[in-house]
Amino acid sequence: MAALKELLPPAKSTGKLHYDLSNDPWFKQRYSAAEAERSEVVKTNPVPLYLKRESFRPSKPQDFGDGGAFPEIHYPQFPLDMGRKRDMNLGQKTLPVGVDKHGNVTFDAIVKQNENASKIVYSQHRDIVPKILKDEMEEEKEEDDELQKKIEETTQETKNALEKIVNVRLSAAQPKNVPTQSSDSKFIKYKPSQQSAAFNSGASERIIRMVEMPVDPLEPPKFKHKRVPKASGSPPVPIMHSPPRPVTVKDQQDWKIPPCISNWKNPKGYTIPLDKRLAADGRGLQEVQINDNFAKLSEALYVAEQKAREAVEMRSKVQKERILKEKERKEQELRALAQKARSERTGAAPAAAVSMPSDRSMMDVDDMGGDYERPKERNAPRETKDERDERLKREKIREERRRERERERKLEAKGATMGKKSKVTRDEGRDISEKVALGMASTGAGRGGEVMYDQRLFNQDQGKSSGFGDDESYSLYDSALFKSQNTLSSLYRPKKDTDGDTYGGDEQMDKIMKTDRFKPDKAFGGTAEKTGPRDRPVEFEKHAEEADPFGLDQFMTEVKKGKKALDKIGGGGTMKASAGTSMRDDHEGSGRTRIGFERGRR
Amino acid sequence: PGNSGDPQKAGPQNDLAVGPPVLPKGINDGAGTSIAVAPSHGISERVLGTDPKATVMAPLFILALCMGSVFIEYCSRGPDFFVLHQIVGKVYEAFLLSVSCRNLSTSALVERIPSRWPRPVWHAPWKNYRVISGHLGWVRSIAFDPSNSWFCTGSADRTIKIWDLGTGKLKLTLTGHIEQIRGLAVSNRHTYMFSAGDDKQVKCWDLEQNKVIRSYHGHLSGVYCLALHPTIDVLLTGGRDSVCRVWDIRSKMQVFALSGHNETVCSVFTRPTDPQVITGSHDTTIKFWDLRYGKTMCTLTHHKKSVRAMALHPNEDCFASASADNIKKFNLPKGEFLHNMLAQQKAIINAMAVNDEGVLATGGDNGSLWFWDWKSGHCFQQSQTIVQPGSLDSEAGIYALSYDVTGSRLVTCEADKTIKMWKEDETATPETHPVNFKPPKDIRRF
Repeated sequence: MAALKELLPPAKSTGKLHYDLSNDPWFKQRYSAAEAERSEVVKTNPVPLYLKRESFRPSKPQDFGDGGAFPEIHYPQFPLDMGRKRDMNLGQKTLPVGVDKHGNVTFDAIVKQNENASKIVYSQHRDIVPKILKDEMEEEKEEDDELQKKIEETTQETKNALEKIVNVRLSAAQPKNVPTQSSDSKFIKYKPSQQSAAFNSGASERIIRMVEMPVDPLEPPKFKHKRVPKASGSPPVPIMHSPPRPVTVKDQQDWKIPPCISNWKNPKGYTIPLDKRLAADGRGLQEVQINDNFAKLSEALYVAEQKAREAVEMRSKVQKERILKEKERKEQELRALAQKARSERTGAAPAAAVSMPSDRSMMDVDDMGGDYERPKERNAPRETKDERDERLKREKIREERRRERERERKLEAKGATMGKKSKVTRDEGRDISEKVALGMASTGAGRGGEVMYDQRLFNQDQGKSSGFGDDESYSLYDSALFKSQNTLSSLYRPKKDTDGDTYGGDEQMDKIMKTDRFKPDKAFGGTAEKTGPRDRPVEFEKHAEEADPFGLDQFMTEVKKGKKALDKIGGGGTMKASAGTSMRDDHEGSGRTRIGFERGRR
Repeated sequence: PGNSGDPQKAGPQNDLAVGPPVLPKGINDGAGTSIAVAPSHGISERVLGTDPKATVMAPLFILALCMGSVFIEYCSRGPDFFVLHQIVGKVYEAFLLSVSCRNLSTSALVERIPSRWPRPVWHAPWKNYRVISGHLGWVRSIAFDPSNSWFCTGSADRTIKIWDLGTGKLKLTLTGHIEQIRGLAVSNRHTYMFSAGDDKQVKCWDLEQNKVIRSYHGHLSGVYCLALHPTIDVLLTGGRDSVCRVWDIRSKMQVFALSGHNETVCSVFTRPTDPQVITGSHDTTIKFWDLRYGKTMCTLTHHKKSVRAMALHPNEDCFASASADNIKKFNLPKGEFLHNMLAQQKAIINAMAVNDEGVLATGGDNGSLWFWDWKSGHCFQQSQTIVQPGSLDSEAGIYALSYDVTGSRLVTCEADKTIKMWKEDETATPETHPVNFKPPKDIRRF
């Protein structure tokens, strides 16, 4: 044994699991003191005499001898360990320091204490250092059958354990296990102490049957079980990871989620950046992509149009020239013809006409005529007297006509500027067929297909044969023919172009047109009638006669006339009373007209 | 002599970790002979090598150390000139050796560490080959039939639809839930299908009648995940009431309520051996449960964000868990932390699955679908799903994914209401798609 020890290197640590405290310098003091005390205990120190026990502290059972506590020493004393707390030593929160097999202090003993003692608890630095698996080959899994055996074993054990639990729970839930109630009853016979007829209905003896109260097995529990919070499953274990990284500014910013702001309400008044607002709108997000071909197309169209215009222009120019030439040619021909005829007739030299310049072709017919006459005058001495008279007459007529034409032309030219209608233009405004065709007139078509009827023919017994009523009540048309131009407003107003001569110059005209002088807006004070701006000529009314509700006047006149007045009293009288808008009340003999009623309307 | 048992040097060797966890205290272990000095300084230099300034300082430091050790040796042996001379020669040799080593093969030394990181296996890239648009809402869960002829998907339109795997045709629509369906599982021991949803209901469907035959009542809030035990007839559901409940399938009895999480239990899977139940939660922890007693076996607190998806490797004894910060791999049955995946998806990972060939697929909330090599944690493909026409870009999101039984087809359930099917690109070769793998520079703690 000794030889072996010599061979082996000296042991790093003793086989003891626990550290030998006596060798530790830190513990030396305490342990030596404890040992000294122990040895002292063996010695039994004598109790000081009475009245000299101030400094005496009896703590060990031996200090008390065989007796009890010393009443004069004010110090907690436990003679015979009576009253001393059992687990005072267990409650100490100090763990003995231990070492592992390499002699290192096991600091993790603290985490492997009570419940964790049976568990695997990782607490070392090496437990978070990566381990490369030693070749899997060498650490090959257990043999298959061995593994199978292990699995079976585990399965069986677990199964049994689980079955036990399940069975207990199941049996608890089974109804057959309901405790049977004892059905035997007890009879108690007794004599009441008050033996009198007044008590106990006069019975001298009573029998009581006592049965256990039956319990409903399906009755729900009367007391509610409160769930007691369960103690935490296991003591905490060391955390085997580094503390989490502090949140960086960027992370914080990334996590900052701006508040949601409605497009319609913003009671807190958050500011929304303009770009965000636009982005939220979603309208600015889509960029409009326009195809290049659009530009090309429009350019091509433009070029084509230009070309087409040019071509058209050119063509029209050519056409015009052609027409001009044609005209010239024709005129030339005509002139030649005329010349020819003239020369034929007169026999004079045709050379003069032929030598006429071409620019004279545009001359008036009169000039032509003048041209035409001259050779005649030249040849005048040759003609007879009659011929001469006739010629002069002709010439006179011709001259007259010419003058008239001249005048007319001048008038026309003047009328174009001054607005005076010439004979030619005077009917211009009167032709409304075009306007009707354009639908500007409010004829039947303009009123939504309604046909216009002559209203005078309505509500008449005899139709047209009874006549059109009286002419004064003009109600043939209910609306103006042309709505666009207000005839009435312009009817009696002076017009600048037409009436300028009568009123003088522009200044005068303006004065007249703007003046309020002739406007019949003024009304008498105190009248109820409203006086708006007048838009139509003043209508003069026939003076309405005194109201004659009973028709007395008429009666009188008719009596005077010797007619049968009573024939028409009923009809006419009533109708008159009823406002008389219809045509029927305009029977002959009645002096009234509708005008009297129109007065109220204004 | 007598220095070989130095605890400072022995520590890293016994450790599972690569490299020393702390800077070795070279001065203390310089008490041995000069021969013993050199290797230990090799380590120190390796550590210091990461810092350029320290690299410059290293030779001087070593020289000083050597001189110190020589002096100590000198003192212990007495003034023997010959020995001293010998020792000085040795020290000088060692110094030269170390310096030349550093000068010649710094890169080699640096390279030697990541070389221990396993190389990724080449996998063909995956491509989308079919899009099934049939659901009227988000598709949130998926499960495959053990016979691999059909699969079922649960959706936010409150229906479960059963699709033919080969043709992608709709076979059946099941209604019964009144909220979105978050969990689905098909039993391989019975003709049952199980579904769980936001309506707090867990239902058992008989696939012979296509009817609900059982309903497991007890969840206080929406049920987010569901798993079947492989060997025992129990059903596990985890929900927003931060409890994972264990149901006896036949009697509809709740056997356990595995409580201990502080937040929604959003992922659960089971194994035949201990630990039989593993749950991940929004409280960022993963818990192992002892199914015999309904007690916690272990709590893993390595994640910083909620663990929304976990995937058990079909063959190896390890599993991966995904959270928004990292995907981590843990060993089983003890739950030792193995390593992180070598990239960050930067998304909330809703679903994860791994097949036999070690292709790990993770689907993110932003529609990213990443494929990883299981062994090395290398991400060899980062794809993005394309939303179906008529959807917003923000509707790209993967809620569930699963391989079929053979592991050759991947089906993803997405937020654009479609189901997409993926397969490996047959035309791809290692030449056309080379592995672009950069092992981690140094092995540090995660």
